[in-house]
Order: sequence, then C-alpha cells, then structure tokens
Amino acid sequence: MVDILSTPFLWVVVTIGLYGVAYWGYGKWIDRNVWRSDAKKATPAHMYMDGVEYFPVSRYVLWGYQFKSVAALGPILGPFIGITFGWLPALLWIIGGNFFIGWLQDYGAMMLSVRKEGRSFGPITYEFTGAKGRTNLLAFVLFYLIIISATFIALIASFWNSFKGTFVATVGILFAGLLCGQLLYRVKMNVFAVTGIGLALVVLSIYLGVLIPVTLPFGVWNIPIWAFIAAIILYGAAVLPTPTFVQPTNYLAFYPAYAAIILIIIGALATPFVTPPISVQMPAGPFLFDPQGILGPIWPILFVAIACGAISGWHSLVSSSSSSKQLDIETDALPVGGGAMLSEGLLALASLIAYMVLAPSFFVGRTNVAAWVQGAVVLTTPFLGGLTTPVLTTFFGLVLIIYALTVQALVTRFFRLVAAETWSEGRFHVFGNKHISTVVGLGIPWAFAVTGSWWALWLYFGGANQLLAGLAIMLITIHLARVRAPTRYSLIPGIFMIVTTLAALVWQTGTFLYSVYAYLNNDASWINRNVRPPIQNNKDYILVAVGINAVFVVVGAVLFAVGLSMAVRLFRSYRSSMAERRARAPAAADGGERER
Amino acid sequence: MTESNDAPKRKGRGGKMKDAAKGVFYGMAAHGHVTAALRTRMYLEHLFMFITLGDMLGVPVIPPYYSLRILPYAVPNIKSWKQRVFRERDFTDQVF
Repeated sequence: MVDILSTPFLWVVVTIGLYGVAYWGYGKWIDRNVWRSDAKKATPAHMYMDGVEYFPVSRYVLWGYQFKSVAALGPILGPFIGITFGWLPALLWIIGGNFFIGWLQDYGAMMLSVRKEGRSFGPITYEFTGAKGRTNLLAFVLFYLIIISATFIALIASFWNSFKGTFVATVGILFAGLLCGQLLYRVKMNVFAVTGIGLALVVLSIYLGVLIPVTLPFGVWNIPIWAFIAAIILYGAAVLPTPTFVQPTNYLAFYPAYAAIILIIIGALATPFVTPPISVQMPAGPFLFDPQGILGPIWPILFVAIACGAISGWHSLVSSSSSSKQLDIETDALPVGGGAMLSEGLLALASLIAYMVLAPSFFVGRTNVAAWVQGAVVLTTPFLGGLTTPVLTTFFGLVLIIYALTVQALVTRFFRLVAAETWSEGRFHVFGNKHISTVVGLGIPWAFAVTGSWWALWLYFGGANQLLAGLAIMLITIHLARVRAPTRYSLIPGIFMIVTTLAALVWQTGTFLYSVYAYLNNDASWINRNVRPPIQNNKDYILVAVGINAVFVVVGAVLFAVGLSMAVRLFRSYRSSMAERRARAPAAADGGERER
Repeated sequence: MTESNDAPKRKGRGGKMKDAAKGVFYGMAAHGHVTAALRTRMYLEHLFMFITLGDMLGVPVIPPYYSLRILPYAVPNIKSWKQRVFRERDFTDQVF
C-alpha cells in the first residue's frame, strides 16, 4: 500500500480543491456583490473598438494571453526561498495568499480599468492622487524595473554557469527565433510550417546543448561574464524591432516552457503511483526564523519571497494595460483575471513540490538556484525514463533560462519606454535616447547582478513587486469607496500587503546597514554574506564589498521612501473618498443607487 | 446572391471544448504577437497619414497637390486615425 500522505499528491489535490472554492465560491460572490459585473454593460473593447488596441476577444484567448503574460520565473524561484521556513508555511501562503489577495488583485485591476474606460494605472493614479502621485508611481516603477532586471540577469548567468549544456541550447533557440521571424515575415511562409521548422530546431538545440557543454575558463569571473553576455542579448532584444527577434523567439520558447509545466504537474500527481513512490523530503516547518540564520523572520520575509503564485504587482500592470481593453463582457473578468492568477498558483505549487522532493542539503547556503531543475528531473524521470538525466537537465535548465530571458526582454523594452517618457525633454533628455536608456537599463542591473548575492536581490524584487501589488489593491479600494461598494474585502488585503512589504524593505535595508556597521566594528562576515564571488571573502575587494552593501542600503531606503510616500497618498485619497461617501450625497440621476 | 436564413449551427459540448482549447492555445502562443504586430502597423499608418495629410494640419511634408490626390483614399481612415492619435497614452499602457 502506497503511503499517499508521504508524497506530494495530497497537497496538489487539496490546493486544486481550495482554488476551486476561491473561484466558484468567494470569486463569484465578490463578482456579484462587490463589483456587480454585468454582461449587458458595454466594455471598452466595444465602446472604443479600433481593431488595434480595443477589440473584443474570446475569454479563452484572453485567459491564455493573460496566463502567458503573468507566468514567469516568480512562481518558479519564489518557493526556493520560501521553503526556508518549511514547506507547510510556503504552501499555506500559496493557497491563502492567492485565495484572499492574489486573484482579487488581478481581477480587481482588470475590472477597475474596464470601469475606467480601459485606462491603465498611470491615468487612474493621476485621477485618484494627482500629478505628484503619478510621478511617484513613475519613479517607483523605474526602480522596480531595475531591481527585476538585476535579479533576472543574475539568474540567467547562474543558470548558464550551472547547466553546461544550456548555453548552446539557448543560442540555438535565439537563432531559430531569428530564422522563423525571417521565414514568417519576409518569405511569408505558412505559420504551421514555420512552427514545425522552429520546433525541430528547438529539439536540435537541446540535442546540441547536451553534446556541446560550455564552461567558461575564468573561474570566479565566470558569472560576471555570463551576465555580460546576457546583457548583450537583451540589448539586441530591446533595440531590434519586435518582429525580427523578440516575437518569434518568444513564440518558439512558449512550447518547451509550457511542456515543462505540464510535465511537472503530471509528475507531482503521479508521485504515489510510480515505483518507488516519490516522497517529500524537506521538513514541513514552520520555522519562525531562517534555520540557517541568513534571511530573518518568517514575517515579512516569506510573504515577499513567494511573490507571483500568491500575489504579484506585475499582474496588475498587465491586467490594466492590455487585457482590460480586450475584455468582451464584464463577467469575463473573473475567468480571465482571477482564473489566470489561480492557475499561476498551481505553477507555484508545482515548483514548490519540485523542491519538496529534494533533500535539505540542496538548500544549504541558498546558492543552489539549480535545485528546481533537479526536483523536476526527480519528478519526471519515472515516466520519461527514455530520456537520460543530461537531456532532462538541459531541457529543464533551458526552460528556466527561457522564462527569465523572455520576460526580461519585455522588461528591458518597458524600461526603455518608461525612460523615454521620463527624460524625453529637459536637461537629461540624453537618457531618453533608445540606446542610452537601454544601456543604462542593463548596465546598472548588471552591476547589481554580478556583485550582490541573488537572494538579497530576490528579496528586494519581491518587496518592490508585492508593494506594487499593495498599491494596486489600494487603487481598487479607492474606486470601490467612490462608487459606494463594499471596500473591506480589498482594504484589509491592501493594508496587509503594504505593511508587510514595507516591513520587509526595512528588514532588508536594516540587514545591509547592520552589515556595514559590523564591518566598522571589525566583523567582515556580514558584508561578505551579502555579496558574491569574486568580491566575497577576498581581502583585495573588501572595500568594494562594503561599498556594495552601502549601495544596497540606499536602494532599499529609496524603495521604502517612494513606496511609503505612494502608500500615504493612497490612504489619504481613500480617507477623503470615504468621507465624501459618508456625507449626504446629492440625489444622483439614477436615484443614488450604487454603480451597477 | 442569396443569403442563408438558417440560424448558425449550435455547437455541441465537444465543439465548444475544441473551440476553448484552440482559443487558449492561440492566446498563449500568438495573441500577444498579433496585437504587437497590429500596434506596429498602427504607428506606421499614423506616420503615413501624417506625411500625406500633414499639410492640412499645418505641417507641409508633401505638396498639397499630392495630398489632394491621395485624399479620397485617406478619408475612410480619418475617423479612426483621429480617435487613435487623440487617445491618452501613458507609460503604463506600454507594458505589453
């Protein structure tokens, strides 16, 4: 008899069940009673239809698009840090965070934008908090993008360094993408034929990757050089026209990336039925403090470590940017916004399970970012036995890189556009230039990526991302207050997220500050912990390590200050909206009914 | 030419599932690229309209003689052109 309780099977079933309750129970209730979505109300897709930005799209298409846009490296690597406190708290946060906050934010952001004529968060922030609020958001987003870029560049470099076969495979996919772009747009070949050729080239790339492992000969300098190569590829992706490079590459990358997710979920469900059954090896926890003494307390660290999969601010930007302009009917917002987010929770769950089946030794020092690949190989080997471990390792390693590279290409482009918006005129107009802004948007993150330890970057990324989520929920709450709808279901999550993330930023900044303080008192162990080789434990670079810690103090402090000022503006706006709501309202044309 | 008055055939559960699966697949794999291509075309069309009809806005790019000759072809697009050019666009609209 197989002991199902010792395998991850039960947790997959429980999570799917609870997500079902979140969607059909809580979700439908919020949709009916708070937002009162109405299938007969014209959406911006119909009101402003232009066939380019505004046009109605079926809910299935939009769900696929939304899921693809939100699912990236967040739900895959977040649980790697989250599992520090035991897998049980991580699982509870993936379930509970998504149940009460995650889907609510994605869906709410979409509904807010739909009710505001398809406008995105910039103009909505302007309406609720004024010009300064919007400038504040712009500054926050710029910092946020730099931190995301640093994290992803650091990870791409680490993956290339860890999995020797993945570099050739990545280059193969990039070339296949370039070729497919030419075949599609210049030769005008049929899309199915191009897909066939592209997929054959992807398989060939993985095969060549296994045959030709690449190891750089520079020792401790390998990571900085890998990161530099990643930055060059990203520069091309940001500057070249999208149909030439980014579009076809992302299209081809979609196939292996989603095949991997499906394989891991099948593997997790099959764990009790394979011989021998795959059991959970990591401790359940909960540990209130990081047992390795690096990360700190479970609150607030766990809640920023697992970002996407539980809740993520990036999603609110996606929901309100393009999806809301293409929503056919209002009632589609729940399956598209909420449904895509709950599905992403399953991706986080699959990743958590890939970590749960590994031995605790994989997590010592938290530098083994390759653990996901090893877990994925453990889960899939029983039914993909025909493929050898090197092939599976290269495949899953490549998938990680693809997730990082494709999202980062979009982030770098977005940074370039935001920089153009910020500095297109005035004294610093040179930073609005396409090439200079891209170099800045990759150069600063590169410097962070090659100096700071990846988990430190990840926690800043999580902090900024979750804070953005908290701010998005506050925007949603302000709107609900203004239209006299119940606000507590979004206000409580909003306050929780803002307080938690600001606390996490304070903790992180404090850690870096303390590290500098400890160095001044002749204890260099703290500053060394926060940096990576070659700077780590090298007496020649000790001052560089101190400098990096100091820079991280400044980054954390700025993120905190900008985030806090934004939060204060939003709370003020909420308070005045509530005051107006309580005051006797003049009779409205509709008899003072709530917005329907 | 006669048009059929028959109501469109109702799809069974299998047909709906097939449509849903096709929709999801298209949405994941290609929808973002299709909208990106449409947006690129939109910007090129803006440029075309600006170059050809710019003299009417006070920006004489080509002599009015040619603008007048192109006018009949450009007229049907003027409404949507105006709508798109006047639309408020913020940095947060450019995420995807």
